[in-house]
Amino acid sequence: MEDERINFSALDPSRNELRWQRTVGMLVGQALAERRKRLSIEQQLLRWARPVLAVAAGLCLVAWTAGLLSTSSAQRVSSVQQSPALTLANWAANNQIPEPSDLLRTLGGNR
Amino acid sequence: MRGWLSSAKSHSILLTHEATADLVYRARRGEADAFTGLVRAYLRPAYTIALSVVARPADAEDIAQEAFLKAFQSLHTCREPERFAAWLFQIVRNRARNLLDSRRLRDVAPAGARILEFITAASASAGMREALLAALADLDTEKREVVLLHDLEDWTHKEIAEVLDISEVHSRQHLFKARQTLRAKLGGELPQEGSEGNHGR
Repeated sequence: MEDERINFSALDPSRNELRWQRTVGMLVGQALAERRKRLSIEQQLLRWARPVLAVAAGLCLVAWTAGLLSTSSAQRVSSVQQSPALTLANWAANNQIPEPSDLLRTLGGNR
Repeated sequence: MRGWLSSAKSHSILLTHEATADLVYRARRGEADAFTGLVRAYLRPAYTIALSVVARPADAEDIAQEAFLKAFQSLHTCREPERFAAWLFQIVRNRARNLLDSRRLRDVAPAGARILEFITAASASAGMREALLAALADLDTEKREVVLLHDLEDWTHKEIAEVLDISEVHSRQHLFKARQTLRAKLGGELPQEGSEGNHGR
């Protein structure tokens, strides 16, 4: 069967040696260019990733600190306002006689 | 281990499974020589596979090149580097079928009329290339793949069976029937083997 082979050389794309070599070279060149382009996008992303992450981390820190500060000052105010000793002192300083209900609330009777 | 594409051809290099895998690993690292090695080894077979499906040499060349670029872009997804060729040829087949589908949508003439037109053109120009293409149009895709891979690419039945996922016996049967059909179709138009010369072993 081997000697019955059909001559397909008319369909052989590499018959024109020069053209074929050019095709091979062009294809390899395109593949390498594509790879370089893809790598350069990835490298640019990597290059920008660090500063972007640093800025994001800074913003997070600022937001967190601000949140922490506002929470602690609010807590301080409310704790000061709710302090029974301070309230009693205020009443005493102002010669104020508190209502029994206020007295009970201040001393924890409404819990 | 002997690779399934290890035949020495003027435009292909001798490649084993290991050599193919090595080229794939090196290409992944961006080595230009590795890209060249893979293209030299597999561009012609890729063209042959595409030609088996689309039956137009110019389209087949475009498909083979596009498939190669696509394969290189997604080389990291090739799970078995030693079977790079089988993976590449699947890309080639998919692209070729897509082109056929779009061609079917574009072309309005029925297939029979197109083949007749083709044969008439072939007779008129008396070009061996056109005559061969017209005769190949009478075969189904699998027979075309077998006969072209065997007689144009010089692959063995073992190599063909592996890449087409058929048995060697099946490959031999396809080759026998394909040659019969082609000889009947081409008759006296067939050039003598060796007059222009395939890339024989």
